[in-house]
Amino acid sequence: MANFFPRWTNLLPFKIGICVITLGIGVVAGFTYYATPKTLAVGYQPSQPIPFSHRIHSEQLGIDCRYCHSFVDVSGHSNVPTSNTCWNCHQHVQQESPKLQPLRDRFNPDHPDFGKPVEWVRIHKVPDYAYFNHAAHVNRGISCQSCHGRVDQMEVVYQAENLSMGWCLECHRAPEKHLRPMEEIFNFEYGDGDVAKYVANDEGVTTTEDLGLKLKELWQVQPRESCATCHH
Amino acid sequence: MSKRIWQHPELPADENTVAWRSTGQLENTADFREWLEREFPRGAAEMANQEEAETSRRSFLKLMGASTALAGFGMAACRRPEAHILPYAQAPEWVIPGKATYYASSFPRMGGATPLVVTSFEGRPTKLAPNTLHPDHAGTDSFAQASVLDLYSPYRSTRVLRNGQPSSRKDFEVAFTALAKDTGAKVGFLFGRDDSPTRARLRKELAAKFSNARFYGYEALEGEAHKAAGDGKGYVADFAKADRIVSLDCDFAGLDPVGPVTPFFDRRKPEGKDYDKPASQDGLNRLYAVESGFSLTGGMADHRLRIKPSQLLQVAAHIARLVGADAPVGGVEVPAKSLQEWITPLVDDLKEHAGRSAVVAGSRAPEVVHHFVAAINAKLGNVGEDKPLRSVLTGNEGLGDIEALTADLDSGAVEHLLLFTPSNPVYDAPADLKFGDALAKAKTSIHFGPRTDATAHLSTWHVPASHYLESWSDTRSASGVHTVVQPLILPLYADCASELEVLAALLSEAGVLLTGEGEEGAASPAHAEVRKTFAGLAGDKEEDWKKFLRDGFYADSKYEAAEPSLDSAKASELVAKAPKAVDGGLEVIFATDGSIYDGRWIDNGWLQEAPDPISKVSWDNVALIAPKTAKKLGIYDKIVKLETPTAAKPEDGEGQHRSGQLVKIKVNGVEMELPVQIGFGQAEDTVIVSLGYGQGFNADDELGRGPLNESHVGLVGVNSGFNVYPLRTKDTGYFAAVEGTLVATGTRYSIAAVQEHHSMYGRALAREVSTLEDKKKGDFEQQLASVKKHGMDSHIPPNISLYKPANPTDPLHQWGMSIDLSSCMGCNACLVACQAENNIPIVGKEQLAMGREMHWIRMDRYFAVQPLKDDEGNYVKEDGEKVYDEENIELIPQPVACVQCESAPCETVCPVNATVHTEDGLNAMAYNRCIGTRYCANNCPYKARRFNFFDYNKRNPLVPHNLYRGPLGEKQVGTAPHLQRNPNVSVRMRGVMEKCTYCVQRLKDSQIRQKRRQKQESLASGDSASTKIGTPELRIPVDSVKVACQEACPADAIAFGNLLDPDSRMTRAKGNDMKSIRDIVGEDEFEKIKVKGLDRNYDLLNYIGTRPRTSYLARVKNPNKAMPGAQSIGKATIHMH
Repeated sequence: MANFFPRWTNLLPFKIGICVITLGIGVVAGFTYYATPKTLAVGYQPSQPIPFSHRIHSEQLGIDCRYCHSFVDVSGHSNVPTSNTCWNCHQHVQQESPKLQPLRDRFNPDHPDFGKPVEWVRIHKVPDYAYFNHAAHVNRGISCQSCHGRVDQMEVVYQAENLSMGWCLECHRAPEKHLRPMEEIFNFEYGDGDVAKYVANDEGVTTTEDLGLKLKELWQVQPRESCATCHH
Repeated sequence: MSKRIWQHPELPADENTVAWRSTGQLENTADFREWLEREFPRGAAEMANQEEAETSRRSFLKLMGASTALAGFGMAACRRPEAHILPYAQAPEWVIPGKATYYASSFPRMGGATPLVVTSFEGRPTKLAPNTLHPDHAGTDSFAQASVLDLYSPYRSTRVLRNGQPSSRKDFEVAFTALAKDTGAKVGFLFGRDDSPTRARLRKELAAKFSNARFYGYEALEGEAHKAAGDGKGYVADFAKADRIVSLDCDFAGLDPVGPVTPFFDRRKPEGKDYDKPASQDGLNRLYAVESGFSLTGGMADHRLRIKPSQLLQVAAHIARLVGADAPVGGVEVPAKSLQEWITPLVDDLKEHAGRSAVVAGSRAPEVVHHFVAAINAKLGNVGEDKPLRSVLTGNEGLGDIEALTADLDSGAVEHLLLFTPSNPVYDAPADLKFGDALAKAKTSIHFGPRTDATAHLSTWHVPASHYLESWSDTRSASGVHTVVQPLILPLYADCASELEVLAALLSEAGVLLTGEGEEGAASPAHAEVRKTFAGLAGDKEEDWKKFLRDGFYADSKYEAAEPSLDSAKASELVAKAPKAVDGGLEVIFATDGSIYDGRWIDNGWLQEAPDPISKVSWDNVALIAPKTAKKLGIYDKIVKLETPTAAKPEDGEGQHRSGQLVKIKVNGVEMELPVQIGFGQAEDTVIVSLGYGQGFNADDELGRGPLNESHVGLVGVNSGFNVYPLRTKDTGYFAAVEGTLVATGTRYSIAAVQEHHSMYGRALAREVSTLEDKKKGDFEQQLASVKKHGMDSHIPPNISLYKPANPTDPLHQWGMSIDLSSCMGCNACLVACQAENNIPIVGKEQLAMGREMHWIRMDRYFAVQPLKDDEGNYVKEDGEKVYDEENIELIPQPVACVQCESAPCETVCPVNATVHTEDGLNAMAYNRCIGTRYCANNCPYKARRFNFFDYNKRNPLVPHNLYRGPLGEKQVGTAPHLQRNPNVSVRMRGVMEKCTYCVQRLKDSQIRQKRRQKQESLASGDSASTKIGTPELRIPVDSVKVACQEACPADAIAFGNLLDPDSRMTRAKGNDMKSIRDIVGEDEFEKIKVKGLDRNYDLLNYIGTRPRTSYLARVKNPNKAMPGAQSIGKATIHMH
C-alpha cells in the first residue's frame, strides 16, 4: 500500500495540539481580561477630585447621611451634595486645607472653574434599564449599609456589593436579613444589641434577623420579583 | 400537523351590520386578507427595497466577520467607563434630582387656551397634562399634547434672518430700536386670534404711543363666525345645559371648539359621568349633525345628515323657518323633500327643548349661516346666563382682518408691519389677496414665528419666536377665564423673543429688546407686564399673584356677557350674495387638517405620524370622495383597483404598495393634481381636501416637485402632501365649486394609511345599543342587558382558556381599565399623550406604510351600515339583494392598546420570559431581556404589540435610506428631541418588542410615594417597630394615579384604577367580579368589595378566554323616533371576518 499520507503530516497532530493549547490559553486569558464584568467588581475605588473622607464626616463627626444626601428618602435618585452644601461648613472650617482647593476655586469669581460643579467619579451604577429607587427602600426599613457597606468607615469610598440582579433578588426573596426599624436606617452601628430597644417583652426576638421577620409581617413588606418592578 | 385556524361560527341571522375599516376590506381584496391574517404583511419583516436587497446574506456575513474582528481590538464595552456625577453648583429651589416638578401653564390658541399642568424633570418640560382645577378643564387634544415637541424640534427656527438670509440679533436690534423711537411711524401689528388680556392692554398703550398704529388679527382658518357675532363678540357654549344640540358643520368636539367639551361627553354616559347612577336615557343629550364629510363630532352624532356645503344655508334657513326665527328666510330656497323630512322632526325636538338646546355652526361656515343660527337660538331662548349659549364680549375688538391689512399695505397706510400671527399668511392667505405682493411693499416687515416658513422668508426680518413654555404671557380659556402662560425653561436659543417682550420693548423709553432672563437673573419684561394686568384685575397682593401662578388661573374671571347682535338686514344682504347649490356640480371643501391644523404643525413629527382620525392617512393630505360619486365619475376602479381573476395584486395595494390615483382638479381658475381616496359617509358630489401641506420639497420628492422652498420646512415637513391654499379665494375660503370634473391622470402617489394595519378579526369588537325600542332587541334596558351577549358571547362556555392563567397575588393593587365607547370620538389625544409619556419614536412615512408604526394605542375606526327595513320589520330588497341605509352610515372609533390579559397568549410563547405577569396584574415587558423573536406579537389576538425593526430612537428615520445604513447611518443622539424623553421609561433599541404597560412607571411612583407617607407617620408615632402598616395604609388613595391616555382624554372616556378598590370609578364601570380578585382577597372579603359593574361593560374577544384587564363599555346612541332612519341607528355592533 502506497504512502497515503504525505510525510509532512507526521508532525500534524503535534502542531494541532500546540495550536489548541495556545488558543485555549488565549481564550481563557482573553475572557478573564475582557469579558468578566468589571461593572460588578466589588472594590471599585476611583480617586475623587476632592479626597472627601466619609470616615471623618460620618464616623468621627457624626454627621447624618441626609445632611448631604438630602433627598435620599424623597427621590428615587440619591443626590450628591451641591458645592454650596460643602461650602456651608467649609467657608468656616478647614479654610486653608489644600485638599479643598478645587472647592474654593468654585467659589472664587476670578477662577475659571467658578460656578462649575465638582465632577465626582461615579462608583455605584446600575444599568440604565434598571430603575433602582432609593426612597422605596429607605422608607421601608432598608439601611444605606445594606447596599453601600460601612461607608462611615471608608476613607475613600469603594463599591462594597456587586449590585448584580442576582444580588438584588437575594434580598427581595429574604428581606428580613436587612429590615430594621425606621429609626435605625442611618445608623451604621446597628446590631443585635439594639434589638432589645424595639421589643417590649421577650417574644423570642433577639437578633436583627428576628426583628426583621417581625417587621416584615408588621409592615406587610412584600418585595416584588416581577420584571416591571425595576425594568420599565 | 397543519396549522389550526379558528373557524368563527356563522353569524346569527339577525346580525346584519356591515362593517369595514377600509375600501380594501369592503371589497375584500387579496391584500386586505393578507393584513388580516398576518401580523405584518409579507415582506414587512424582510428587506424589501433595492438597497436592502443588496445587503445579501453573504455581505452580511462579511460585515459580521469584520466587526467581530474589530471588536477584538477594542473590547472597550467590557471595561467600565468612568462616569461622573455633576451636582448643581447652587441648588435651585424646588428641584429634587430624580423627581418631577409640576407647574400650571396653558397653551394659548384661537377658540380658547388649553389650561395645562406641565411636568418638568430637572428643568426640562417633558409632558403636558390638563389642569383639572381649571373651571374650563376639558382635557387636551392631540395638538396640545404634541406642542411640547415643538419646543425641542430640531427644525425650529433658531436665528434671526434678514431677507431670508442668516443675520444677527444685534443688527436686528438696531433696526428695532429705530422703529421703537419713531412714534409717528405707520406701523401695523398682525396678531393671532387667541385672546390675551395683557396683549389687549398693551395694544391700547401702543395706540397711544404710536399715533399711526393699526391692529389686525389673522389666522388662516379663523372663519366667519366672529364677523356675524359682531366686533369683539362671540358665543360660548355650555354643553352641560344643552339637552339637544344641532351642529351645522361644526366640529365642536374636535377641531372647531365653541366651549369646553367635556360636559358634552359627560352627557353621553347613561350612568352619569362617574358611573354612579342607574342607567337611564333621561340625562343623555342628543346630537344632530349636518355636515359634508365625517368629522369627529359627526361620528358622535345620533342623527347625521350629509349634504353639500352649499346646501348648509338651506338647512339653516329651513330650521329658522320652522322655528319662526327672525331671519330673512324668504330669500333662501326651500330644501329638497328628503331634507325637509329630516329637518321637521328635528325642529319639533328643538321646540320641545327650547331654552335647553343649542344650535351651533362651524366657525368656517359662511357668515350668513351664523346670522340664521343666531336668530334660531334667540327664538328658542337658548342664549343668556344659565342657558346653553352665552353671548360674550371677548378682548379681541378693534382688529382689522387680512383684507384690510392687504389694502392698507397696498395704499401705504401701513409701512412697518410686525407679524405675530401663528399662521403663515404668505402661504395661507386667500390666493386672490396676493398678500405676498402687499407684504413686499412694506418698508420693514418683522416676522416672529417658530418656523422659517414662507412668511419668514419674505419678511425683511424674521425673529425666532419663543415657545409658550419659554415665555411669560396670559390668555383666556374658552369661557374667558384669565389663565397664565408660565415659562418652564429659558429660551433654548438666544435669538428668541416672545410677543409680549416685543410689545413691552416697543413701549419702553429706550426701545431695547430684552428677552429671556434679564441682568442678574431678573425675570423677562413680559413677566412685569403680565403681573401688571393681573394687578388690574385682582389687586397687587403677593399671595393672590402666587395663587394665580400656582393654580394657573384667576377664578373670578370670565367673559363679560354681551347683548347678542342680530342683524337681519345684513343677513338679507348676504343671502342675496350666497352661492346657489348646483345639482350634480362638484364642490370642493378646504378642510381643517386633523393632524397639522392649518399647516403650522407640519414640522411636528408626532402630529404628522398620528393618522388622520377619519381617513387614517398619515404624512399627507388626500382628496376624499364618496364611493358613489367616484363610480359616477368613473374613477372608482382606479382608486380601488379590484381583484380580477388574472391580476390578483391590485395596483392600489395596502402597506407599502398603497397609492392614490392623481386626479386633476380645477377650482377658481387654478388647476392642480391631488391623490384621491374613498371617503365613506361623505356627501355625494363633494371633494374634501385638507389644508396645510406641501410647504417645501427637496430633490427626493416622489413627484419631482423639488427643490422648491426647501428651507421653509424641516425633515418632518419636507415633501409632505399637496398645497391646496392656491385654490382658495377670499369668497371661497371654505368651499368652492369645481370647474368641470375630476380627471384621472394615470400617475399614482404613494400613501401611508394605517387603517388596515393590525386589523383584528372576531365578533362584536365594538358594540352599540340604542335607547330606542327595537322589535327584536327590546327596549333600552333589555338592550343594555344583552350587551354582554353580542356576537358569540351568548353561546360559548364561560372563560375557557388554553393559556395558563397568571395568578396575580398583590393584595394592595390590581389594575384595570375601562374604555367608554359612548364617549370616545377617536381624536388621537391619547395616542399622542402615550407617545410623549412613553418615549415612542416616530418611524417616517416609508416605514409606516409597511405597518411598522410604533403607536402603542391603535385608534381603530370602523364604518358600519344597516339594511333598510319596512314598517313590518321586513328587509327592503331590490333584485333580491338587501338595500342598505347609506344615509345613516355610522362611524365607531375604538382605541386598542394592550389589554393586559390575565391569561396572556404572548407570555406562553416567549422563549426568554421577557414578557411576564406582575403581581399587580400587568403584562410586563422587560425590554432588556427581549431577543426579538416576535412570537409574542404573532400570538397576540389584539395585535397590540409593536416591534422596533430599526433603531428609530438613535438613527433619524426621516433621512432617506438612513435606517438601512446600519452603523453608518446618521445618528440623532444628543439633538434636541432627546431632551423631551421621559427619564423614567427605557428608550428601546432595535430588535425589541414593546407595548402598553399601563404607564407602569407612574404606578410604581404612586406606590412609592404612598410608602413614604407611611414612613413619616410611623416615625412620628415614636416607635416604628410596633406600628402596623397594612393594606389600608399602603394602598394608594382611590383613583389617585392617572395613566397618560386617561389624563389626556377630553371625553373622560378612559377610567383607570384599582380593582380591589370598590370606590374606584373604573371598578364601578367594569366591575370586579372576577376569579382572580376572589382568589386574592378570599371569599369573605370578596363579598364586601364585590362590584357588579355596568351592564354595557364587555371584554374584547371575550370568547377566546384571555380575560383582559381592559374592558370596553358599549356605545349608546340616543336617536329620535320621529327621524328618518331612526331604526338604523345604534345597531352598529362590529364584526370583522
